[in-house]
Amino acid sequence: MTLSPHPPQRALALHRELERVWGRPRGVRGFLMSVNHSDIGLRFMVLAGIYFGIGGILAMLIRTQLATPRGAFLDSPLYNQIFTMHGSIMMFLFAIPMLEGLAMYLLPKMLGTRDMAFPRLSAFGWWCYLFGGLILLGALATGLAPDGGWFMYAPLSSREHSPGVNADVWLLGITFVEISALCAAIEIVVTILRLRAPGMRLTRMPLFAWYMLGTAVMMLAGFPPLILGSVLLELERAFDWPFFDVARGGDSLLWQHLFWLFGHPEVYIIFLPAAGAISTILPVMCRTTILGYEAIVAAILGLVFLSFGLWVHHMFTVGIPQMALAFFSAASMLVAVPTGVQIFAWIGTMWKGRPQLSLPMLHLLGFFGTFVMGGLTGVMLAVVPFNWQAHDTAFVTAHLHYVLIGGFVFPMMAAAVYWLPLISGRVRVRGLGETAFGLIFLGFHGTFFIMHLTGLLGMPRRIPTYADHPEWMLPNLISTAFAFMMAIGFVLFALDLLLHGVFGRRSPRDPWDAGTLEWTLPLPVPSYNIAAQPVATQPSAVALARGEGALPGAPRGRREVLAGSTLDARPQHVAVLPGNSLLPVATAAVIGIFVLLLLIGAYRLAPLALLVVLACGWAWHRFGRDIRPTRVAVTPGLILPDQTGLRDSLTSTGTVALLVADAALFGSFLFAVGFLGVIAPEWPAPASGLAPAPTLTLIGLVMVALLAASVAGRHGGRTAPLAGALAGLAALAGVAGLALMLDDPTRHARDALRAAALGFVALHIGVGIVLALIARDRQPGTGAAAGRVWRLWQDFTLVTAAALVLVAAGQEALA
Amino acid sequence: MVPGSLAGCTGPLSTLTPHGPEATAIATLWWVMLAGSALITALVLLLLALAFRARRPALPPAFWTQGLGLYFSLGVLTLLMGVTILTGDRLSGRYQPAEVTVEAIARQWQWRFRQPGPDGTPVETTGRLHIPAGVPVEVLIRTEDVIHSFWVPQLAGKLDAIPGHENRLRLIAPEAGLYQGRSAEFSGAGYVDMGFEVLAYPPDDPPAPFTDRRTDPVEAPRP
Amino acid sequence: MRWLLRLAAGPLIWAAGFSAIYALHGIGCAEGWALVATPFGPLHRVALLGGWIATLAAVTLVVARRPRPALDRGDRLLGLGAWIGLVSVVVTLAPVVMVESCPAPYP
Repeated sequence: MTLSPHPPQRALALHRELERVWGRPRGVRGFLMSVNHSDIGLRFMVLAGIYFGIGGILAMLIRTQLATPRGAFLDSPLYNQIFTMHGSIMMFLFAIPMLEGLAMYLLPKMLGTRDMAFPRLSAFGWWCYLFGGLILLGALATGLAPDGGWFMYAPLSSREHSPGVNADVWLLGITFVEISALCAAIEIVVTILRLRAPGMRLTRMPLFAWYMLGTAVMMLAGFPPLILGSVLLELERAFDWPFFDVARGGDSLLWQHLFWLFGHPEVYIIFLPAAGAISTILPVMCRTTILGYEAIVAAILGLVFLSFGLWVHHMFTVGIPQMALAFFSAASMLVAVPTGVQIFAWIGTMWKGRPQLSLPMLHLLGFFGTFVMGGLTGVMLAVVPFNWQAHDTAFVTAHLHYVLIGGFVFPMMAAAVYWLPLISGRVRVRGLGETAFGLIFLGFHGTFFIMHLTGLLGMPRRIPTYADHPEWMLPNLISTAFAFMMAIGFVLFALDLLLHGVFGRRSPRDPWDAGTLEWTLPLPVPSYNIAAQPVATQPSAVALARGEGALPGAPRGRREVLAGSTLDARPQHVAVLPGNSLLPVATAAVIGIFVLLLLIGAYRLAPLALLVVLACGWAWHRFGRDIRPTRVAVTPGLILPDQTGLRDSLTSTGTVALLVADAALFGSFLFAVGFLGVIAPEWPAPASGLAPAPTLTLIGLVMVALLAASVAGRHGGRTAPLAGALAGLAALAGVAGLALMLDDPTRHARDALRAAALGFVALHIGVGIVLALIARDRQPGTGAAAGRVWRLWQDFTLVTAAALVLVAAGQEALA
Repeated sequence: MVPGSLAGCTGPLSTLTPHGPEATAIATLWWVMLAGSALITALVLLLLALAFRARRPALPPAFWTQGLGLYFSLGVLTLLMGVTILTGDRLSGRYQPAEVTVEAIARQWQWRFRQPGPDGTPVETTGRLHIPAGVPVEVLIRTEDVIHSFWVPQLAGKLDAIPGHENRLRLIAPEAGLYQGRSAEFSGAGYVDMGFEVLAYPPDDPPAPFTDRRTDPVEAPRP
Repeated sequence: MRWLLRLAAGPLIWAAGFSAIYALHGIGCAEGWALVATPFGPLHRVALLGGWIATLAAVTLVVARRPRPALDRGDRLLGLGAWIGLVSVVVTLAPVVMVESCPAPYP
């Protein structure tokens, strides 16, 4: 299918028209209201950079303490806070937000569209990230920072062994930040699947988009286990529900499983976007095209799945059966194959082209020289007997820094210097960046290469002093000296980025002669990205600026982009996107207040904050309600409706993505139930005090009501939403009745799990009621999308509730 | 025999100067893997360097993605799997029945040990485990509070002490002497002090009485 | 969407099989299935091998039904996805042919 572009218009007039619609107010108001992907993406990256600096300062404190055997610089409690915060900040406040920011900033530009699928969600995610990060920083400044290690192992993190608020700060603060990760993942998936320029087939899209699709899917499946673990641990700390207390049917190993179910995929979540940057930048630096597109897509597919099959390799020393060790050892080795495919495809790309030693290329060489070694030590650690020796020693510290700095920081630095002209419209001054690279590269290897040896000499991680071990002194001193060199390098790198904005000369369009879509944009990039969406495979920059494409300008005064089909990007409808709004910051602020209330233990006030969140959610939906249905000539001859009245809107794709994450959460919960029942020592649980007759009646009521709500959702029609909401209320009443009858959740883990399950169902019923009311609130002609979202949610609620009933029935039958 | 006895690799917790069969097998595995990794790193760096040469052969894409990426990686990893299984076999302690069973009980922040005393009756000590040299010993590892990890690097790999579970570690101290051990799982404020020692005595000449580490330092040769 | 699901079919089967066999292994150890005799050997072994064979059969079906001849990049990717599933099932679950060794049952 070929589309013919609109005829050319005056570029300047188009620009003014688009800026009026896509721009934001000046000053603080604009800062608070902006939802634009370039703004938000940039903010994510800047804030992540600031956190990298803070995490780096903490790292230097650690290195200073370890420079000598009897470092008296930090005492043990403070040292514990500092290494815990170093790890947590680098993982949750630097790496993840940095990749989210990069994706948000670049994806719409690479895919030939104007914004992410859910602009307000991007902004909301950023504010959650900011506020959550501020909570953690506040704790650090007041000496209340988490101190149980970035993995927060139970039972060290339980109320008994960590009585202070420190652990709560981690659990609540990090979970708050993870909201932004889930938001980002959902919109990355929807943007890539639905918002590509017309005709850009999935199998032809830029590799970076494939990488981000893989990353986002992994985030949808990988973050929920940690969120579940954090919620359960916080419930245990706050209300004494014994999920991890072995004396009452819990098991501390459950935390490790949930944590590493997240924690291992996390490594690949961080690596994949970096690999996407490499696959984009490397061919340009070598004046050629990428070698092995299909092999790389297959490698991404393999990594996305396989990386979920090796979480236990962080637990080789907890005492698990040989065969289970073998499963995870084999998976850990197999996952190295797709990584190998990519590495060699990149080297092949270099052989194919003519590599040039510009600054991005230097950073990419830094990547190769570092990451390959990190990968190899990773394979070593997958060898079970060796892992028994190396686990929890400085060897692992060295390995993970080779992987993360090699596999993420170097590619990100390449990405920063490569895409800088998009942001600033300037090219950097030569010299400073090259020096910075040299210092970082030498400093890095000087710091961490010898740390492998330190670990093999037996030095464990996380100790502040080593007075009895003079043999560790020299390697530690070397590490510290080079760490300072690396730190200076990073300062110079930051300085280079800042100075280029002042001294850099104006950049021509496409300064790298890359020829890819994001470089056809004017520099610095305007708020709307492109004056018209490209319809040809090789659009010319000038033609696009004149509006020769689809949907030129903003003649209807709305933010419009084309939404298409998943595989072949056939245009389906015009998506009208929301503009500047205070809702994201307001909603995030209220959630922040909710978290703070939980932190100070004001459990009675906290639900009030949730009510305000609900009110914000209601206000959120009014944008969709108020769109005036319009039919638009997206190109001459192709007239499409906007999303009003369509079932297959972006929101419904987004709901599917959300439900994937929800299903991962639910699956993790089922895993927790099964794990405790099979592995935890204090099982079977004491007999349940639930009276059979009333319990069964109430369960019957809930299930019938949920079934009725689902039928109503399926039926559609004007009165269906109200009927569904009423059925939801009945189900909620049944759940409340069950909650009153439940065994004391503090008695045994089984009872705590049942209480948690009831909470899960109640939350879903509640959200279902709100969604039904939203569907009811829509105009007859524009309610189809809202109705479909409600129906998906209602069906999910029904299925999960039924599964939980079956699980409980199974428990009773076996007891 | 192993290169680890070179200067710079020694130390009471060094995994590179192993003594028991378990630790020795693992150290050998390490040197093998190090050699292999060095070769692979050298290969990758060489390929990278050659990419900058003006004249280089044009290689088909399949050479990179399938030849090197798929088959080379799979081959190396299969080889490594084989070596791993062989090493697992050489961890002979696993197959020999243990002649002595001792208990290691961890709590914040010390280790207690229960072992057959000089006269055969159980004796409890703090911070020092007494075992006969040259005899397969089974260590039952438990904890009374948080997670800890039992680790005597020169004898065997580490194994965690998990609340509610009991782990079993098999080890042999080939010659008499004092071996250093410590907890290898972060356990809070006093973690740094969770060291202990293993006194391997000649089976026919046990020291009497068994003593605690803090109160009675012993002078025993470092093996 | 359908194409993406087909692309992921092999790896999805691997994920399901891997989870199921890991669960069977844990349950079997906890319930002492190694001591339950069946006509084909101890129940634990039968369950694990059975799970593996079922997973292999399912993923082999995906490989057999990959588009042939592959007409375009989309078809070729579907083939690669199927092979990834098969290789993953073979390699990561191969340990089920090992002799089972559950740890000593907890008191």
